[in-house]
Amino acid sequence: MTSRRGFIKAGGLALFGISLGGFPTFLARAAESNKIISPYKRNKILVCIFQRGAMDGLMAVTPFTDNYLKAARPTLFMSAAKGGNTNPLIDLDGQFGLHPSMKAFESMFLEKRLAIVHGIGSPNNTRSHFDAQDYMESGTPFNKGTSSGWLNRAVGLLGHEAATPFQAVSLTSSMPRSFYGDNATVTINNLQDFAIQMKGNQMGANIAAKSFEDLYDQTSSSLLKETGKESFEAVKMLQKTDTRNYKPANNAIYPNSQLGNSLKQIAQLIKMDVGLEVGFAESGGWDTHVNQGTANGVFARNAADLSNNMMAFWTDIGSYQDDVTVMTMTEFGRTVKQNGTGGTDHGRASCNFILGNDVKGGIVHGNIKPLAIENLEDGRDLAVTTDFRSVFSEVANKHLKINNNPILFPDWKGNAMGVMRS
Amino acid sequence: MKSTVKIIFTILIVSSGIFLSSYINQPGVRTISFPYKQAGLTEKQAAAHLLSRFTYGATSRQVDEVVSIGLEKWLQQQLSGKLNDDALNQRLINYDAIHLSNTEVSNTYPKGGQLIKMAIKEGIINKDSIAVAGKKEYKDQIAAYMRKNGYKPQQELFRQFINQKILRASYTNNQTQEILTDFWFNHFNVSITKNQCAEFIPAYERDVIRPNVFGKFSDLLIATAKSPAMLYYLDNFSSSGTNTNLENNNKKRNSQLDGRMQAAMKDSTSQKAQFIKKLQQAKKTQGLNENYAREVMELHTLGVDGGYTQEDVTEAAKVLTGWTVYPMGDNGSTLQNIIEKAGEGTLEKRGFVHDGDFLFVPSRHNNQEKIVLGKKFPANGGYQEGVDLLNMLAHHASTAKFICTKLAIRFVNDHPSQSLIDKMAKTFTDQDGDIKQVLLTMVNAPEFWSKESLREKTKSPFELAISTVRSLGADVKQPYQLYNWITKMGQKLYYYQAPTGFPDKGQYWINTGSLLNRMNFGLAITSQQISGIKVNLAAINNNHEPESAEAALITYSKLIMPERNIDETIKRLTPMLNDPELVRKVDAAAGKQSQTMDVTNNEDIMIADEMQDQKEKISKTALAKSVTDNNTMLARVVGVIIGSPEFQRK
Repeated sequence: MTSRRGFIKAGGLALFGISLGGFPTFLARAAESNKIISPYKRNKILVCIFQRGAMDGLMAVTPFTDNYLKAARPTLFMSAAKGGNTNPLIDLDGQFGLHPSMKAFESMFLEKRLAIVHGIGSPNNTRSHFDAQDYMESGTPFNKGTSSGWLNRAVGLLGHEAATPFQAVSLTSSMPRSFYGDNATVTINNLQDFAIQMKGNQMGANIAAKSFEDLYDQTSSSLLKETGKESFEAVKMLQKTDTRNYKPANNAIYPNSQLGNSLKQIAQLIKMDVGLEVGFAESGGWDTHVNQGTANGVFARNAADLSNNMMAFWTDIGSYQDDVTVMTMTEFGRTVKQNGTGGTDHGRASCNFILGNDVKGGIVHGNIKPLAIENLEDGRDLAVTTDFRSVFSEVANKHLKINNNPILFPDWKGNAMGVMRS
Repeated sequence: MKSTVKIIFTILIVSSGIFLSSYINQPGVRTISFPYKQAGLTEKQAAAHLLSRFTYGATSRQVDEVVSIGLEKWLQQQLSGKLNDDALNQRLINYDAIHLSNTEVSNTYPKGGQLIKMAIKEGIINKDSIAVAGKKEYKDQIAAYMRKNGYKPQQELFRQFINQKILRASYTNNQTQEILTDFWFNHFNVSITKNQCAEFIPAYERDVIRPNVFGKFSDLLIATAKSPAMLYYLDNFSSSGTNTNLENNNKKRNSQLDGRMQAAMKDSTSQKAQFIKKLQQAKKTQGLNENYAREVMELHTLGVDGGYTQEDVTEAAKVLTGWTVYPMGDNGSTLQNIIEKAGEGTLEKRGFVHDGDFLFVPSRHNNQEKIVLGKKFPANGGYQEGVDLLNMLAHHASTAKFICTKLAIRFVNDHPSQSLIDKMAKTFTDQDGDIKQVLLTMVNAPEFWSKESLREKTKSPFELAISTVRSLGADVKQPYQLYNWITKMGQKLYYYQAPTGFPDKGQYWINTGSLLNRMNFGLAITSQQISGIKVNLAAINNNHEPESAEAALITYSKLIMPERNIDETIKRLTPMLNDPELVRKVDAAAGKQSQTMDVTNNEDIMIADEMQDQKEKISKTALAKSVTDNNTMLARVVGVIIGSPEFQRK
């Protein structure tokens, strides 16, 4: 509750400042440029993208010199050698090759802003999407009873009260498991819905909104009263900007997909200075059991959507790049061997991507062994050599300046991976 | 066997009903008058409170009905769950899927992947043509294959199931049974997000939860433990013994066994003898899965602080090894056939237990001695030791406390007092976990009627939607439209991924996004903008037109929120009515633009719904007309009342 009160106080202050006149020029600038609150202090922002369905890390970032992999994937293995019929892998370091559909990532990797962790996964060897996502999002791989999500706990550890209701926003149709918990978060599929609506009757909507605001202002339920206040403040904030006709900056083009829409709106919120600190989006379709394809096909389309949208987002946020880190995650990887239907089945380790100016980029982190059968987990899967918590905790700790692993990832006492600059 | 179980349940329900009536009617045994007067409530206020907790919301003038029946008698009727439901059944008449058994569901609504496998096997589609999956030709082939075999898409099963849930909650006379069905389903949560268990969820709610909601907690627990939905959801179906010799078995041997078993099954001459042998040997190496054993203690019985250890979890998992699902559906039909030929008698002699969809396979069971919570389960306990374990958990003191706390949170307030929980837990223990008796103890406690309880619960999105339908007497023709709104407000029913179920506290439901959606829901439903949901505002006031806008506001506030203090609501909403110019402008604006409204956001669902309701198909123009026919200002006022903070509370 303290964070709610904190927001109201801050909102009041901001209004008070304006009514006095003579406010600082940066406030005036903010007011002119669709900014919603005065940025007393710019916060760091962590944006997480969950790739649901389990991405084949061995196809996204292929250890192309590994002959075991080549043998295990007669029709799925791709080469980094140029001159074939299809686009070759993009050679990152002589050992790993980036899928050609992720070409957008190449320049970021070369500029050392993009890090890759290979062999990342959960210590719990479940191969169920349901369990593995649950464990990864709750952050407790051996405890299903954990009611909160790790990002919600991260919000509670930020060490300051929320400036607005938009401190943690998930641009998804339902609240992700990562956001469950006691700290206030917003889940919204579409910013344009964030208003009192009466189809085709704006005046009616305005009157209704006023009535609702009055009613919620006087209710005896403190929960409804304070959330109501937050909601109306949030609506008013958004009303000042034109969410409908948003134009991405720097000629950024988001491919049209769920992920693109979500990231575009997160970029909007960031540029509106609404006090966003944790953003969440989802990317689907990674469960490629059947005909996953190589340079073209399902996997290639997903990979292109992910990388092109992430790069559109990065371009769009422009001068905010120093404040933002983007991290992808997926519940597990896929079998080393291709299956009988041109796809791959549920496996163990995958890889993930971390993009940001404070990231130790240009490196494929982690330690994956040659894919000889004796090195595989249960004789079939890329072994988990990096606990996801050693990466998630480090990114959250370094970027958001929170240092409380016992709360963020209880039961975990491991070390940071070393993916962030110190 | 299934029918035996049913008969036992029926006897239980009937006998507890007899027990209850003698209990209540016997003077001196227990107060038969709820202690609301002591809390300063009038009989009408008490009836309104009772209705707010034991129904999905009072229908128009239901408070008066309850007063005339008598509060105690009304609750007793509700707790019997036997009121006539002809009107509801009429609404459900076209829903054919909701009556199917699990086997019929498996045979009619195969999973997508399974369907393709079958089609390939039968040579309908070429294995290689999966490459063109998504193309029209491929889709047509699959569709033709489905038509030919009478297969239907699984989504249709869930649509019917969800629609009936909404209709049942809205229109059943046995409201308390539905409230408790929701409570216990959520307590023993299973989720459509888990593919393996999804198809069994409709029968789970219908056969496992609903018939047991007023009975003994242990019956409910054991019924859930043996249901395919739970066995798949929490993986116990695959859990098998971990004797050292079993652990040493390797996968190769296992798959060879599988192969031989398949071959044996195809060879009809050697069926019976081979089957038993093979089934006993097969699949021994999958090993122990602790998932269910942990959750049954943590979430279903003792509670996370109920005093068990990791060692208890592992031991309990061993006790429950071999508890699995009876083969069914197209995949299991060969096996099923053989089991039938082998004969139930032979199976029983070998230690198998077949009960409906449940199967205990002795060869998968760990036969060693186990110790759970200090109690010794001697070696070779077979199926019975699992039942003993569950009974022990059901009767544990921690369980009494845990279950009664959850019930009090659902029915009283988010932070129930210790004194109330203690009273309820005592009844739970003394009355062998009799849920009905626990509820009666709760309602007989002053805490239930105190001001800490009145209007202190926040409605879940589902409760908000259904209470709106009931208050407004809405006619729901396309229930899925309501489901979409409920999802938008933050409660995607049956899709809650975690075994904890939806949290039952206001804090969870109320956040900035969801609250706005609640307000928008109020405005949308009263202004007829949800297709397939008809609201006749005049009808709930017996078609009397209020003489003024102010009178309308007062009349409708009272009708929708009976026995509440509505002074503030009226005071705040009056300005909405007082500017006649405003009213005219708003009406004009609404009339002019109402035809542009968006009718649905889910074409498939709407098409399916419309097929069902051909006769009453609602066209955009008809809808638009009804908007202008209705008093738009009245619709707006009622919409604001539905979205108001007062209406979010129960």
